[in-house]
Amino acid sequence: MADDDLFDAELAIIEAAEERLDQPFANDADAATFGDLLKNYRKLFRQSRRLVRISDRNEAELASMAESQRRAAEEISHKNAALETLSNKLSKYLSPQVYASIFSGQQEVNLNSRRKKLTVFFMDIADFTETTDRLESEELTSLLNHYLSEMSEVALSYGATIDKYVGDSIMIFFGDPESRGVKEDALECVKMALAMQTRLAELARVWRDRGIERPLTSRIGIHTGFCTVGNFGSAERMDYTAIGGTVNAASRLETCAVPGSILISYETYAHVKDDMRCEEAGEVTVKGVAYPIVTYRVLGVAEGATDGNATVKVNLPNLQISADTARMSDEEREDAARILQETLTRLRHSEAPAKKAV
Amino acid sequence: MDNLYIEATDRSPAVSFEFSKGHLQLSGESYPEDANGFYKPIFEALDSYLDDLGSGECRFDFELIYFNSSSAKAIMTMMDKLEEAAASGAAVNVHWRYDVEDDNMKELGEELGEDLEEASFHLEELDDDG
Repeated sequence: MADDDLFDAELAIIEAAEERLDQPFANDADAATFGDLLKNYRKLFRQSRRLVRISDRNEAELASMAESQRRAAEEISHKNAALETLSNKLSKYLSPQVYASIFSGQQEVNLNSRRKKLTVFFMDIADFTETTDRLESEELTSLLNHYLSEMSEVALSYGATIDKYVGDSIMIFFGDPESRGVKEDALECVKMALAMQTRLAELARVWRDRGIERPLTSRIGIHTGFCTVGNFGSAERMDYTAIGGTVNAASRLETCAVPGSILISYETYAHVKDDMRCEEAGEVTVKGVAYPIVTYRVLGVAEGATDGNATVKVNLPNLQISADTARMSDEEREDAARILQETLTRLRHSEAPAKKAV
Repeated sequence: MDNLYIEATDRSPAVSFEFSKGHLQLSGESYPEDANGFYKPIFEALDSYLDDLGSGECRFDFELIYFNSSSAKAIMTMMDKLEEAAASGAAVNVHWRYDVEDDNMKELGEELGEDLEEASFHLEELDDDG
């Protein structure tokens, strides 16, 4: 509709008035008054038409701005989604705690480090190469990823910071970027180690079906002490990690651990002794550490500790028990008692292979 | 009479009525919440000035970026007052200055200028320096 169509009625009035103005009036004063009225009406008409146009233009401009804003918001939303996807992908290369501390702004991404008391954990699979040398590359990859995923899941459930994977070994620490206190960190670390062994034993059945005849057995070393923790590398490529004698010592304890066992240093033992059953396991010398490290083997959760007697966890090279008696049904209790009784009977009637040979 | 200065806000234009120099200016954006309240003292000052202008000279610069319908009515009212003063013998020059990229503002200026018969109307592009 053309602009003037809206004003047809007003234009008709003006036309009629102009025609009337050409006709004679009773007197000059009336003609002048009529002329003034027509002039002002014309002006009013022009102003009305102008105001309508201004209003329409402004509205169109606002609508166009709103549209631009909507598009910009849409673009920002797409970019945010893309960034979120990207950051989710990148987060897989970082320990969740490190990722969270960077994204929340608590941790600066620059080359700096600090001294902190950490509990450092090393784990690997004893005789991994021998155990898996008959596997095809794809099977080995699948097994390794499965093992690392399962262990990482356990680690994260205990609030650990996963430092790195190197082949079949895992380095983990407790105490940074989050810490519950040195004692709690050490205790959580040892609890996590036990949980990992339990999980590994459960997985043995799954893996046996995949051709891993011998169950994977882990070696674990844990040490508590001061480390330098932070970002190392260059401004372009940095790694968040811990370094120092404590890390070396934990690694050394792992290599000294008997397959299937958890070897901890006295420094860690001092923090967990009330909650864990441990036995002394001799001294270990570590390159770069002046004195020998007194070690302990973790046997399980101490009776009456933390879990209120409801759970029993045993992790020995040839005996793994994980029982939560509080959650058992009557039927499960009977089954558990029967199995344990049978095991006890067999244990009493069996002899160690060496003794038998004699 | 005293000059009238009103600073611009997000919604209202800057007013600079230097009566002593015969130079009046309205610039910026105009969509005040209360258009009547904003323009009333401006009309009063303008009326008072134009009443005493006689055959004197007056220049009025409009440099507007955006205005709403109420402000448009106020601008047209000011144009009427200037036209009346010119009809009464004053030398009135109205300068409608618009941003070179603002076709709407140019078109509006052209339309408003059509109503001025006695006052001189000047349509001018604003350069980057104003």
